[in-house]
This record gives sequence, C-alpha cells and structure tokens, in this order.
Amino acid sequence: MNLTTKRTLGAAAAVAIVLGSVVATSAQAAPKSVSIAWQNAITGRNAGLGADELLGAKTALYEYNKTNPAVKVTFVNEDDVSDAASASAVALSEAQNPAIVGVLGSCCSGATKASFPAWKSGRLPIVSMSATNADLTNPKLPQSNGFPFFHRVVPTDDLQSVALARFAVKGVSSPKVYYIDDQSTYGSGLRDSTAAAFKKNGTTVVGKDTIAAGTADYSSAASKVVASGANVLVYFGYYSDAAKLKKAVDLAGFKGTFASGDGTLDNGFITQAGAASANGTLITAPTVPFELAASAAILKDFTAATGEASPAGHAYVTEAYDATNTFLQCITEGHTTRAAIQNCLQTETFSSIKGSKFTFTRYGDVTGGAPVGGFVVKNGVLAYLGNA
Amino acid sequence: MNFSVVGTQFFPLLINGLALGFIYVLISVGYTMVYGVLRLINFANSEIFMLGTFATVIVTRNVFHFTIDTPTSHGGKLILILLCCLLASMAVSAIAAVFVEIIAYRRLRAKGANRLGSLISAIGTSIVLSEAVRLMTHSLPVSDPRVLAKFNLFTIHGVGLRIDQLLVIVFGAACFVAVDRFVTKTRVGKAIRAVSMSEENSKLMGINLNRVISITFLVGGLVTGAAAFMYETVYETTVFDVGFNMGIAAFTAAVLGGIGNLRGAFYGGIALGLAEEFFSAILGTQWKAITVFTVLVLVLLVRPNGLFGEAVQQSRV
Repeated sequence: MNLTTKRTLGAAAAVAIVLGSVVATSAQAAPKSVSIAWQNAITGRNAGLGADELLGAKTALYEYNKTNPAVKVTFVNEDDVSDAASASAVALSEAQNPAIVGVLGSCCSGATKASFPAWKSGRLPIVSMSATNADLTNPKLPQSNGFPFFHRVVPTDDLQSVALARFAVKGVSSPKVYYIDDQSTYGSGLRDSTAAAFKKNGTTVVGKDTIAAGTADYSSAASKVVASGANVLVYFGYYSDAAKLKKAVDLAGFKGTFASGDGTLDNGFITQAGAASANGTLITAPTVPFELAASAAILKDFTAATGEASPAGHAYVTEAYDATNTFLQCITEGHTTRAAIQNCLQTETFSSIKGSKFTFTRYGDVTGGAPVGGFVVKNGVLAYLGNA
Repeated sequence: MNFSVVGTQFFPLLINGLALGFIYVLISVGYTMVYGVLRLINFANSEIFMLGTFATVIVTRNVFHFTIDTPTSHGGKLILILLCCLLASMAVSAIAAVFVEIIAYRRLRAKGANRLGSLISAIGTSIVLSEAVRLMTHSLPVSDPRVLAKFNLFTIHGVGLRIDQLLVIVFGAACFVAVDRFVTKTRVGKAIRAVSMSEENSKLMGINLNRVISITFLVGGLVTGAAAFMYETVYETTVFDVGFNMGIAAFTAAVLGGIGNLRGAFYGGIALGLAEEFFSAILGTQWKAITVFTVLVLVLLVRPNGLFGEAVQQSRV
C-alpha cells in the first residue's frame, strides 16, 4: 500500500467516523420514546393521594398521545409508599435508569425530601404536584432543598398555613385551639407555620401534641384535647391518621371543630372515619377541584383516560395534570434529555388547565399557583367552598 | 410537662391504660408461653396477632356485610357477630401459631439445630407472613366497621366508662385467668410446666414433647387471637404491620414482668399500658416510647429478671 492509498483510506475512515457520529447524535437527539418516572404513594397508608393524582397525569398523557406525537412518553411506576426510606431507594433506581428523563412526584414532602440526594446525583428534573413543605424550595437550606432540579406546581405551606389558621376558627366564637402533628416533614412544617399564623392572628392556643404517623392509639391524646377545653382541633398530617384521631376525639366527647390541611383531603378520610364522624371536618388545600378547573372537553378526556365518571372527590388532580403537561410541553418542543428538560423547566412558560400562564422560580416554586381552597365534609362527601 | 392533665383526666387515662394493658397482657402471654417451653422468643407472634385482626375485619365486612357507615348492631345479632369475630380471630391465630411451630421450629429442633437457627427461622416466618399480607392489601390500612355502639355504661366523677373498654378489661381478665388456670390446674398445663422446667426430665416422665410444644403454641395463638379481637373492638383499624408495634410493646411487657412467667406477663402488660397512657398525657405523646423504654431499662438494671421473674418462679409456664 503506497502513501497515497494510505492517505485516501485514512481520509475515508475519518469521513466515515464523522458521518457515523453525526448520524448517532441525530439519533440521540430525537429518540422515539422517553420515560418519565411516576414516583408516588402507590401502596401504603397514603396511597389514596397517589391514586388521585395519577388520574390527572393519565388525562394529560392521554391528550398528548391523541396528538400522535413524534416522541412517545411512558410512565414508569415507582412506589415510594410516601415513606422516606422507600423513597430514597426508588429515587436511586430512577437516577440510575438512563431511559428516565424526569420525575413526576412525589405526593408527599417527606418522601420528596428523602429523594433529593439521589435525584440530584442523577441530575433528574422533577415536578411535584402536591409536595407543599416550604423547606423543599428554601434557598437558605441548600442541604435539604431540591435546587436546582426540583419544581412544583403547587404553592407552599407558608401560604396554606395562613389560610388554615383563618379557616379553622371561622365562625367559632372565642376559639381555643389545640393542635396535633404527625412528626412528618409535611406535618411538622405545616404545624410550625400555622402556629406562627395563630400567634399573629391572636388566636388562643390551649395545647399541642405530637403523635407519630401510623399510631393506633389516640385515646390519651383525645383525653388531653377534651381536658384542655379546646373548641377547635387542628391536625397536621395525612388522612389515614386523621381518621383515627377524629374517631378517638369523638369517643372522648370532643364537640368542637376538627380542621386539617391538604394531607387530609382524600376520600380515604371519610371511608376510614365513617361519614358520621367525618362530617363537618374543615380542610384547606392549595388546589382547585378538577371538575371546576377543566373544560368539558378535558372532562371527557378524563373519563376516557381513567375510566372514572367524575373527578369529584379526588385531590390534586388539577395539579397532577398541570405538572405532567410541563414535561409533555418540553418533550413536544424537542427536549428529550435530562439536561434539556431541566433547562426547559427553568426557562419556559407553561399553561395551566385554566389557560393561565406560569413559570418556575430559580428555586422551583410556581409563579401564580392555585389559591388555597376551603373544603368541608358534608353528607359524607368532600365539598369545595371556594377560597379559604 | 403537664401534670395537671392527670388531675383532670385521671379516670379516662386509667381506663384507656387498662384497656391497652389487657391487650398487651394477652399478646405477651403468647410470647411468654413459648419462651417458657422453648427458651426462644417467637418473633412471629406479632404476625399471629396481625392475622387475628384481619380475621376479625373479614368476618365483619364479608360475612356480616358491614361497611363503615352501617349502623351498629344490637341484641342477639350483636352477640352473634362479636362471637363469630372472636372465634374467627382465635382460630386463625391458633392455626397460624401451630403452623409457625411446625415450619419454623419443629424440624430444626428434630435436626438438633442451635437456638440461633430457630431464631432466624422465626424471624423469617414473621417477615413472610407480614409481606404476604402487605402484598395482598397493597399496604393499605383497613378500617373495621363499628359493630358495637360505644356508649358509656356509667359515669364516675363525670367520666364515662365505655362499653368497649369495659368489655376488653373484663374479657381480657377472664382470658388471663382461664390461661393461668389451664397452666396451673390441668394435666396438659402441668405437662407444659414440666417441659418448661426440664425437657430431659419431662421426656423421662413419658411426656410427648412435640405434642406439648404444639399445644403451647396453640394456646398462645388462641390468646393472641383474643387480643386481636379486643384490639379491633377498641381501635377499629388494622394494617399489615400492626403487629410490629404491638408485638414490641407486648414483648417489652413480658420482659418487664419477667419473661417465661405467666403472671409476670400480666403485671408487665398492665404496667406498660398505664405507663404509656400517663406518660403520653404528662410529657406529650412524642415522648411515650422514650420514657417507657427508659423505665424498662431502669427496671432491668435493678431487677435483671424483670419485676416478677424470680418472685413468682413457681408459676413459671
């Protein structure tokens, strides 16, 4: 082989390598399908929250698929049981799975916080529909916030707490408040900010207690509530424990108002406490019920996507729909890698179900989220009362 | 700290503590009886309890078709439902206990396995039972519809005594007395006590060791099943890991009273139930576990065999 032949072959090889890499890059830039992790409480005490939210996500995905998109999107179900230990394990598997380009979830602040180290290590963009703990996006807490990958379409508990402190005592003359939290990231965070709001409002607090989630025996706590002379009991925790507490205070003879935050906004509260016990319970949540927010066409898609006749009584369906659509918008625009989607979430403007525009702040909070709504359990059904 | 709550809520706390204490007593009897004959902690006892709670719920929901909003029952029907729930709970727990003995202990014993092997086998069986129920229920808590209207039977110093709590206290005491009598007065009970004192001598006396051990598990299971029924009557909910916390507490009660000692389980259970209620009221519920276990450690430092471990040696199972 002479020198000319060698040079010719060398040049041809170089061209082939360049062309090959161009083709490969093009293939990587436009995959035919991507996966988004649906990390939520699929089983466990708070599974009702995850199941409700999945309805909104399914509806958004159904509408996306109707457009016959170039890039197919599939959900990868990851059950974090809304438990910190389980969450950190499933978050790690998501981070290590190259097919996953983003995470939708989790429902609950404790599981979300526990997932941050793994998500950050995988540089996974995240959008949550209902993790409301304020510290998750607190710039002053770099060790425990999700910056820069965490985003949420729901306002924080700093906003909810002000509404809850006002809503819980609405119509009660000389309110005397007793409050209990469940020791969770969500419960203790909402407790602290609501307690500050009570203080600011001049509301009398006659007692407080902390009872770990999953406790069966609330009888001594119920006795203390009655002994305190409280006429308003506020619970900061999730619906399953709220139901047990409500039954216990009823049996102890408590006749006052029972109020709680968005962790209790689930039909599971009513089915576990029983309608007779649950009736009259006041709940706040920074959400607008899906049936009020959605157009007739979207409600039709909801039924087609989920098989459910109506979204009534299901919590955070609206926010799950909006959260899913942020990813779908980014993917539609051609952002199909973790880095590209992360950049998209940080820079793009998105549309909510009602057509209003929103963006995410540098630390992941939503601009212009839903107002805090007030709910009451009436005749065994969660009824929306409007702004709390 | 809020000591004033003890003054204003002494009787409710006392009643709550006794009701919880009697549930602990019956579960700890399951632990202590097995420990008495095998010198092993039957870690699967917590899952035997859990299965009993689910049996109660299944009978209420699926046999009598109660839902969470069904009105409570009265008269003969109420008695029938409660009796069926109790029998189902006891039967399921007893069968599970005997099953655990055969699977986790008997073969290992026959093969001359050491105690560590049996211990691991029991833990494994416990995990299998718990995980199986977790998968079947998707980890969801299950509410037990209220069958018995929880009215106050009478009032003392302005405090009502609820019928469910009275039922638990009276029935729990009756169960304990029955087991105590069975162990101390019957021929089989004497055989159990003989095995607990010396396996070798018992064999020489012609006692069928396997049969006695199976009967011990059976009785322990029956009593644990009764505790599960009582638990559902008061708390009306269960979940796949309900046995974990209750089991830890009941085991603690057994150690506090002197494990292997039937009457020690009684005193330990009552003491723990009362301590939990009063400490929760005074210090706040978040301090319950810390204070209770601190007391346990302090008691064991002073009396390593538990409160009654030596004093009532003759009543050892």
